[in-house]
Amino acid sequence: MLTIVAVFYYLFAESQYAFQRKFPFGFRVALQPPESEYRDEISMDPTASLLATHREGTDELDDSEDVTRLPSHEELMQMQALVTATAQTSDPDQLRTDALFRDCMRAPKRAEQGERFLLLAFALPNYAGETMELAWEPDVSFDPEYCPYELRLRLVRAPNGVKVEPFEIDLRRQPKGRITLPVWKAQTQDEWLQGYLFELEARPTTSTTWATLQQYLKPDWAPTILYARFGMLPLLLATLLITCLSVGLGMPLGLAAAVYLSEQASPRIREWFKPILEILAAIPTVVLGYFGVMLIAPALQRLFGEALQLSSGRGLLATALMMTVFILPTIISLSEDALRAVPNSLREGAEALGLTLAERVRLVLLPAAKSGLIAAGLLAIARVMGETMIVWILSGGTPTMPDFSSPAGALGTLVKPTRGIPDTIAIEMGNVEFESPHYGHLFLLGLTLFVLTLGINLLGFAYRKRAQVSL
Amino acid sequence: MMELTRAEGTPAIDWESLAARQDARRARKNALLTGVFGAVGLATVLLVFALVAIIAYKGAGTISWEFLTQPPREGMSAGGVGPMILGSLLLMLGAFVMATPLGVFGGVCLAEYGERSRLMRLMHASVAALAGTPPIVYGLFGLAIFVLKFQFGVSLLAGWCTLTLFCVPAIVLTTEAALKTVPAALIDGGLALGLSRWQTLWRIALPYALPGILTGIILSLGRAVGEATPVLFTASVYYTTAEMTLGWDTLRQPVANLPYYLAEGYRQPGVVPERLIWGACLTLIALTLLLNAGAILIRSRMRRRYL
Repeated sequence: MLTIVAVFYYLFAESQYAFQRKFPFGFRVALQPPESEYRDEISMDPTASLLATHREGTDELDDSEDVTRLPSHEELMQMQALVTATAQTSDPDQLRTDALFRDCMRAPKRAEQGERFLLLAFALPNYAGETMELAWEPDVSFDPEYCPYELRLRLVRAPNGVKVEPFEIDLRRQPKGRITLPVWKAQTQDEWLQGYLFELEARPTTSTTWATLQQYLKPDWAPTILYARFGMLPLLLATLLITCLSVGLGMPLGLAAAVYLSEQASPRIREWFKPILEILAAIPTVVLGYFGVMLIAPALQRLFGEALQLSSGRGLLATALMMTVFILPTIISLSEDALRAVPNSLREGAEALGLTLAERVRLVLLPAAKSGLIAAGLLAIARVMGETMIVWILSGGTPTMPDFSSPAGALGTLVKPTRGIPDTIAIEMGNVEFESPHYGHLFLLGLTLFVLTLGINLLGFAYRKRAQVSL
Repeated sequence: MMELTRAEGTPAIDWESLAARQDARRARKNALLTGVFGAVGLATVLLVFALVAIIAYKGAGTISWEFLTQPPREGMSAGGVGPMILGSLLLMLGAFVMATPLGVFGGVCLAEYGERSRLMRLMHASVAALAGTPPIVYGLFGLAIFVLKFQFGVSLLAGWCTLTLFCVPAIVLTTEAALKTVPAALIDGGLALGLSRWQTLWRIALPYALPGILTGIILSLGRAVGEATPVLFTASVYYTTAEMTLGWDTLRQPVANLPYYLAEGYRQPGVVPERLIWGACLTLIALTLLLNAGAILIRSRMRRRYL
């Protein structure tokens, strides 16, 4: 019991690092002519400004950073006609012409803190168009869904003499868009600061802890990209699916073998059978994994490979099949124990009534051994959920959301690569920085697994106790 | 009394043949189902033999004295798995030494006082739950507490502690189960002869339960030696081409071991040739089978002595 508390405490203690995470976000904003060739893909626009918080950003102004200082008026005239510029400051009164940059990247903050970016936009005298457009889109690999802030882009100030309705855009609702503006030209460098002034504000909506937990339940696991995502849903679903499949397959098989062992087999056969089961139970799971990779995966590849363009047979089905082999000895020996615990008087009574063996099993033995059999199933579930090496070797290693909306999707889910909770911990713990949010999230995964299996194990234990009491 | 009459036109029911037909159907169903039970049982046995046979067939060519004793050479692509075998044995030995007393003591406590108080029942439930806790959770826990908190580093020592934690609950449970099989008559007899509770336990109950306890210990060690995950973050190193030397320093150093060698050999494809992989698989299986054979042998010998 002490160990349980200790395990729980330490997993919990280490998973606190998950809650120290910060929430990066990034948008590209560009001023462009209405008929711009970048209309759909403004991320390609070389003049776009990047307003972002992520791990490459810094809090202090530092010239050695790869933030591009804005060239002078004359230089700009030769390069482009429409300009966006940012400053390190968030105060409109402190903008200085000689401290303007193309991009603004800052270090990410905690969810309670929020962030504000200022953006200047103006045209140069050589711009010939009638109107211009402000376009924005999320930075590559940034998904506003994974941002706990309320993100807004608003007009702070229009240039003197230009009439524009003030607007405010909710970037989470409309992550990508354009807005048409009247042209305003800055004739000299000193006039830059009088251009359109926009503000991108990230307003905190929730605490870091809560935000971390919310993200944890989202369907995307991508811990190493710039805008890291820690949604464990695909991992959890994969683990649950593998468990369902393998126990669903293993339980009837195991039960049949257990009935054979306890009711039909002679004591001699039984004496031989037990050690053989123990051998199967003792085969290391790494070896089972290899066995699956070298024999089951190629077979699946031959079956479905061409139709579904698989690069290998590794995936959910291969994992579940090998998992069935892994769990079979456990199920057989536990169910056999449960069946043998049924008192002989019941057996003999049923036989005296003239019931055949099949009827005895169905009508007498299975109901009598019910609690014990449920316990066996629960223990099997807990073992499969936590089994690591088979999933590591056979799952294929890509986190995938299961898709059961169509038959093709369901088949794809079954044979395509996937990834479960235990193997994610095992694979990623090897190259993670200690005490980083990623490290914390791996412990959080471990804690999740521990709590799940603990609950199932305790339930199994209760059922086993009940089986002992009722018989 | 009124005589039962049949309605016009309904055929007479031939009870005899109906019963015979029913019996035949039941017999057919029975034969089918019992056949299925037997077939599944047989299939399980065949599966075990097939697994072992295929791995033995594929790995047999690799096994040689050199493979078993030499360290890997040429960037892991040739040579043997000597250090891995040694590392696995070392890990197992340490876990055996540490887990056995703890596990047996815990089992004795549970068997003696198990049903007495609510606290002990809770203990029992926790041990059962810990026995089913995934090895990867033990690995994480070992990393958090032994490697980082106690500053053991990734080392043999941390591996021992983690494996011990992993083995103890299973040993406790089998010890408890074995002690429960001791007939009450033996215990009562001991007590009646004036032995103390302690003497009864030590001289009568434990020897009687010994085969069961030993089997439990050996089986859980067998599981521990084949399990890569508890030692994954706590004790393992993959790339070793050096001969392993034993000394006090070994305690603080990571060790190579067979399961991790296989796991990592998979993660970095193309480094370790398939031939060596099958060889290592076979070696690992042989190791666990040897332990199993030991367990079976002990059980049958001890049983003979007592029955």
